[in-house]
Amino acid sequence: MEGLSVVVALVILVIITIGMGVRIVPQGSKHIVQRLGKYHSTLNPGMNIIIPYVDQVPYKVTTKDIVLDIPSQEVITEDNATIIANAVAYINIVSPEKAVYGVEDYEIAIQNLVQTALRSIIGEMSLDSALSSRDLIKAKLKEAISDDISDWGINLKTVEIQDINPSATMQKAMEEQAAAERQRRATVTRAEGEKQAAILEADGRLEASKRDAQAQIVLADASREAIERVTRAISDQELPVMYLLGERYIGALENLSASDNAKNIIFPADLPHAIKGLLNR
Amino acid sequence: MLEWLNLHIAYWHWLVLGLLLVTAEIFVSGFILFWFGLAALAIGVLLMLVGIPITAQLLLWAGLSVALVLLWLKFIKPNWKDRTTSGMAMEALTGQVGSVIESNIGRPRGRLRFPAPILGEDEWQFMSTSEIAIGERVKVLNISGNTLVVSPL
Repeated sequence: MEGLSVVVALVILVIITIGMGVRIVPQGSKHIVQRLGKYHSTLNPGMNIIIPYVDQVPYKVTTKDIVLDIPSQEVITEDNATIIANAVAYINIVSPEKAVYGVEDYEIAIQNLVQTALRSIIGEMSLDSALSSRDLIKAKLKEAISDDISDWGINLKTVEIQDINPSATMQKAMEEQAAAERQRRATVTRAEGEKQAAILEADGRLEASKRDAQAQIVLADASREAIERVTRAISDQELPVMYLLGERYIGALENLSASDNAKNIIFPADLPHAIKGLLNR
Repeated sequence: MLEWLNLHIAYWHWLVLGLLLVTAEIFVSGFILFWFGLAALAIGVLLMLVGIPITAQLLLWAGLSVALVLLWLKFIKPNWKDRTTSGMAMEALTGQVGSVIESNIGRPRGRLRFPAPILGEDEWQFMSTSEIAIGERVKVLNISGNTLVVSPL
């Protein structure tokens, strides 16, 4: 009976001891081994043996890439504009023992480093260049941080700027600026249209006057031609003229007598003479 | 108790215990229960052939289990090589050979290029204790932040 108890206890001890001595580390993580409180070694993925009761595994560290969200923050640019920027960083733990023993909390440490570096990099840029040159900011950010994190055995793979937006008041001002610019252009366009219209109207008037003048000249020419022809046709024969004039004269007298307010008409007795008087002969 | 156990523990009890332990291996992390199960199966087979007292059976089981675990760790496991270094930056980088495209002469750091990207990048900064001219080939020894520590080949 005693023998059985001892043997059973021994068997249990053996199982527990071997269970403690064997460490299976999954791919993508590494375990830190401390021997009696001091760093001893780092276990790689796979099965590992540690000395039971003497060695402990206080830290299990992932060696996969860690995505760090960098919270958004207000940044003041060189030209005193406030913009809001946030980023996302991808880090990879290269030396787990440095990461574990070198800094209290590497995630917070790197978040803060990226934040401050981002602030100082954008602080040296003007608003317009900060809004348009993300790649440059990325490269500078990586360069600025990589020295600081080297003590922690951490590699900064990439850092991406997620949002880079002007602050609310800045955005309003920019919108107003854009609206004003458009309004200015609209006003200029309208004024140009009016100017064009006025010019065209004046052109029209000028053209019309020119044509009127030409028409008068043509009329005058025609009158002169007609008079010349009549003159030529008459030459020194008085009689046809007398006849024509007499006819018109009588016609005029007829018209005169037909009007409402002419009651008494006096015909000259000597018509040829009267016509001669008209002709000043 | 001892006599009762001696009378009533049959060989198939060991076989069942062995199979249970081997099955339990699936649900527990660590590659330990499997060997205890294997040892239990061996004891069961042994009992079919010869009669052994129960204390001796238990001791034999414990001893055989430890022996199997040690055998596995000493001789078989070391021959299993790692098939991937994915997710392991240090192992993926150390030992890689690249050529220098920017010398570190007169400067703290130079640049090197690998034939294929490693950890997502084919150009890296490097530092070295010796001065290395452009075009020389270097081997990665260590990594410090985003800078590689190299030595000329």
